[in-house]
Amino acid sequence: MAETNTLIPLKVHGVLVDPNTDTQIVVLRDEQNSEVLPIWVGTTEGTSIRLALENVIPPRPMSHDLICSFASYLGFTLSKVVITEVKNNTYFSTIFLSKDGVEKSVDSRPSDAIALAVRCQCPIYVTPEVLERRGGEDLDTWLSKLDQKGSEQPEA
Amino acid sequence: MLNQMNVRGLLFDPYNNAYIVILRDEEHSDMLPIWVGKSEASAISFALEKIAPPRPMTHDLMKTMLDNMDAKVISTVITDLKDNTYFAKIHLLFGDSEFTVDSRPSDAIAVALRTEAPIFASGEVLHKQNSEELERWLENLKPEDFGKSDA
Repeated sequence: MAETNTLIPLKVHGVLVDPNTDTQIVVLRDEQNSEVLPIWVGTTEGTSIRLALENVIPPRPMSHDLICSFASYLGFTLSKVVITEVKNNTYFSTIFLSKDGVEKSVDSRPSDAIALAVRCQCPIYVTPEVLERRGGEDLDTWLSKLDQKGSEQPEA
Repeated sequence: MLNQMNVRGLLFDPYNNAYIVILRDEEHSDMLPIWVGKSEASAISFALEKIAPPRPMTHDLMKTMLDNMDAKVISTVITDLKDNTYFAKIHLLFGDSEFTVDSRPSDAIAVALRTEAPIFASGEVLHKQNSEELERWLENLKPEDFGKSDA
């Protein structure tokens, strides 16, 4: 696990619908907008992230709202989430919970970590290794193609 | 009055493209069908079939987070039915205190199955639910609808 000072903070730039598959893409960007990290997530997770980004309060709590309720009832805060690793095209992440100066870390999929982070206003970080290994040479071309394609279709 | 319920299974509802979780009480005299979405059904089905996915799904994370916070799920209760929406509560034990958290039944059932916590339904809910609707629906089912859930 890298030290916090080498971690790169990221913001959720948006959630795109991949018109070719039944998935959505969470686009993360760094503060200078120089790095892009797209992460493919399931429709449910993508929708959950988008609802939180758009500050939509669903009539009944979604699964990630429930996890946030657990933490706040029990007095825990989400201090940060970190996208730690990428192996065989699968991203790994860790959620850090803290209470009374004690920090606990929980392994999770990035989709869940991001869905929780946007609800709890907790920072999202990525390790430099993950950014290096994401293989993003063709990414901008790919993203611009997707934007054009995506704009022709209504969002799911 | 609370009735302890068991999850009897999941059915696919081809008419609404949704899934139905069938809860039955211990004496098998009352049945409570709850319509849930695809991802919730899959979360329940993984737990019923004891499938460990390669990466933790949302409800596996929910359990790990509760474990890490040293909180225990004491019970889950389907408390109410209003305008075709079921309401549930999750009862947590944390230190010496008990906390009650509002949830959808699908999340309550998915977390109960993972933490081996009992699932209850209030007498009121069992009374209110319209079992005639399910019976009518079941009569229309074809045998092939009873396959294993593909979620």
